[in-house]
Order: sequence, then C-alpha cells, then structure tokens
Amino acid sequence: MMNIKRVISTIEKNYILSNLKKGERIDGRDLWEYRDWTVKNDVIASAEGSAEVTLGETKMITGLKYDVGTPFPDLPSEGVCTFMAELLPLASPLFERGPPGDQSIELARVVDRGIRHADCVQTKKLCIKENEAVYILFVDIYVINYSGNLIDAGGVSALTTLLSSHIPEGKWVDGKVEWTGKYLTGKTIVNELPMVITYGKIGDIIFLDPSLPEELACDGKISISVTENKITSIQKSGYATFSIEEIEMLSKKSMEIGNMVKKELNLEQYRPK
Amino acid sequence: MPLIIKDEYPEKLFREDGKRLDGRDKHELRPIKMEVGVLENADGSAYLEWGNNKIYAAVYGPREVHPHHLAKPDRGILRVFYRMSTFSVFERKRPAPGRREKEISMVIKDCLKPVLFLELYPGTSFEVFINVMDADGGTRCACTTVAALALADAGIPMRSLVSAVAMGKIDGELITDLSGIEDKAGEADLPCAMTWFNEEMSLLQFDGSMDLKEFSESLVLAKDALTKIHEIQLETLKKKYIEIQEESKGGENVK
Repeated sequence: MMNIKRVISTIEKNYILSNLKKGERIDGRDLWEYRDWTVKNDVIASAEGSAEVTLGETKMITGLKYDVGTPFPDLPSEGVCTFMAELLPLASPLFERGPPGDQSIELARVVDRGIRHADCVQTKKLCIKENEAVYILFVDIYVINYSGNLIDAGGVSALTTLLSSHIPEGKWVDGKVEWTGKYLTGKTIVNELPMVITYGKIGDIIFLDPSLPEELACDGKISISVTENKITSIQKSGYATFSIEEIEMLSKKSMEIGNMVKKELNLEQYRPK
Repeated sequence: MPLIIKDEYPEKLFREDGKRLDGRDKHELRPIKMEVGVLENADGSAYLEWGNNKIYAAVYGPREVHPHHLAKPDRGILRVFYRMSTFSVFERKRPAPGRREKEISMVIKDCLKPVLFLELYPGTSFEVFINVMDADGGTRCACTTVAALALADAGIPMRSLVSAVAMGKIDGELITDLSGIEDKAGEADLPCAMTWFNEEMSLLQFDGSMDLKEFSESLVLAKDALTKIHEIQLETLKKKYIEIQEESKGGENVK
C-alpha cells in the first residue's frame, strides 16, 4: 500500500534530485533504463484483440472492438481507428470519477498520434466498400494501476492489441455487408511498429521512464514517438523547457531505445503468421 | 450501424448428453479464481476470474467525502461504482455509465452495507470501485463476491463476508451459475447473495418465471453453491497471510 498525495514533499523531491545529480534513481535504475516490462496478448475473450501490459507497477488492459460505418467524405476508401483512455478511479487515489480529464485525453491523443503518423494501421485495408462501408476500430485503454509513465505503456499495449486483433472480414454484396467467415488480423492491418518513449526532466537532468514519484517531482516530460528511422510525433508537457541540443539528443536516443525495447519485448511475436 | 455478425442464441441450452453448452452439470459452478492485494495503490483490492468474467475491485477508505455535502455526521457512507469496460461485451459499450450500471452499483451497495460497521466512521466514505474487464453472465454476483473480498483485504471491520451466485432456469430445468448465453436465452434468472453472519439474503432479484416449488428449491440449491463460493473466498484471504508468514519465516523482508 502506498501513500500517494497530489503534492510531493520537498524532502522527497530533494532526495530524488540529489540522486539524479549523481546519475542514480531512487529505485536503483540507470538514467536511461526502463522498469521491467511484461506484455500479454489476447486476455479478453469478448474483445477482437486485447493486451495486458505492465511497466513496473503501472498496469493497463487494452481492448479492441469494431463497428461498420460510413467513411469520412474526404477519405472515402479508408477505415477509421480511434483511441480512448480511461484512468479508472480504482487505479490510483489521484484519479477521480467522471468524464475524461486532461490526463486521460492526453494519453489517448499521444498514443493515437504516434500510431497515426507512422504508417502503422493500414486504413485502406479497413475499407469494405468505397463511400459506403468501412471498419471503425475502437482501441480502448483502461489503466488498472497507476505508477507513472502511462504513455509508454499505453503505446505498447495499443500496438500489441492491434497486432493480435482478429476482426471478421466482410464483403459488399448487393448493397449490404456479408460476412466471409475469414478474419482480418494484425498481419494485414498493421505495418510499422512505432514506439513512444517518455523522458522526465528536473532542473537540467533528463531521464527515461519517470516513475510516479519522479513524475510528481519533475518539471516536465517529453514523449517522442519513433519508428525504425523516423520521428512520428512529439509531445512536451509540464513547464520544463528543452534546449535544441537536448531535443536532438533525445530524438536520436529515442530511435535507439525504441528499437531496443521492440526487440526485447519481441512485439513481432504477436503478429499472426 | 449494424455489426456484421449477429449475437445468436441456440435453440437448445442442453447438449444431447444432458450437460450444459459449456459442458457443466446442472449444478456445477464455472471455474473460479480469486486473488487479493492485486493493486498497489488501493487500500484493498481483489481480482476475480469466474468463467470468462474478469473483474477487478478496489477499496479506498475510510477517506474524506467528495462532494462534502454527502457526508453524514453520525456514520460513514459506502459508495459502490460498478463499471464495465467498452470491450467486455459483444457490442461495444459506450464509455459513459448507463442506467444498468447505476442500478447494479446501487444493488451491490445495499447488499454490502449490512456487513459493515459504518457507524464507527462518522464523516468518512468507503469507496468500492468495481471494473468488469470481460463479461460472461452473472457479473453482478461476481462483482458482489469480489467487492466483499476487497473490503476484507482493506482490513475494514466486517461482520462477515458476502457471497453471491446467480440461479436460473433453462429449458424447464433449474440450474446453478448462469453463463452469459443461458442468462439471455433462459427462462429465469435469480441472482442472490448471502451475508454469512446471519445467513440471510442480502441481494435478491428475479427475472423470468418459476412456480413456488421451483423457487424454493432454487433457494435451497443456492445455499449449497454459496457455501462453496464462501470457502474459496476464505481460502483466498487466508492464502495471502500464509504467504506473508512463509516469507517472513524465510528471513526475507516483508513488503
């Protein structure tokens, strides 16, 4: 049981800072080290794709549901993929009930943008009939336990969910959708695997994967989404400022770390053969 | 917009060998797995897998009441929030809580209240958050069972545990522990919960049709099933302390 408050005590903040100055973290990690990851796919029988991801004590379950709808007029032959995040009040005393707040909208938006701009979801494959019927995918992230850095965990869980998806394949017959009995899977609808990597900043010290006390103590965070060799989205939050050199250094580091984590978690194993 | 595949019900709910569609006997429970202390941040928490149901429950309290006007000067208040995830059901559920979720929250709250000593905690609230991640029939009973476990895990004084099960009737036969499909296609659904300090029913709802004989027979059968569920709950709570005991014996530091 942890005693979490909205405000972190000055003494704890100073302790975190003095440790960081020595290049150490309060949980014994290196500045550029993630907490332990675990990834499980297909955990929800009712969903058409799902994943359970933990990063340290942070835990979330993501599920995919689909619907068939009419496409947007400007993109008549492309399906739609939407992301939602819910910070359940059971996950932390910091979370309250009610409509989604800033933090949950930011989580969903950052995960969405990282994936949207990376040639990840093949929206053209999600079209059943141009102008008439396309798939609408709902990727919903539920945070079960909050212990810092929801964005990175959210990125991996959304990706694993999409990779392990199995959506009934439909075809257009005489003005309506008929089910072929086959499934669209992560093999067809997912291409690139973008990773989102978050850094915290206190003073002029930058570190990877802020844990909850670090998140509460830090001046700001930056999340960088990368594919193998491209940046796909960046989000800076909090009141910290980053120099141009720092941003360049972090962009480069993000690709290294992204490729490393992708390999370590072996995300490709969740893609059906 | 229509979904491609329709949620269809079979005509018969018993197989030719007399067993139910999922291979159970008439009064056999689905496999149940419980765990307590699963969420670090909560004062008490529990996880339950009951067949295909997957449910998390967390308890926060006693703590300050928000909004403040709900606080009672002479006793604490219990608030229960039953919520389903969007992907827990066949057709995606809208994220905002609906009327069904609000009603079930209230029913579970009224069911759990008798076992708590709320008069000992004036001006505070106990909040129970229950989240159904995957649903397959009998979620209100499963949620009541797991909520009682989470309250016990939080160390809140209780008169006893509460266990719940859904009884029912399919193809003219009485059965125990309805699955999702049996609930939708069956003839009757009777969720009930027992508070063990007085062995009385604390949650009782009924939908469908049964004659008086069937009804009283159901209640007797329910008690057998509830006794089994209660055993599992007690085992789960004891297991946590046995584990702590063994850890400390081994000379390792207790968390």
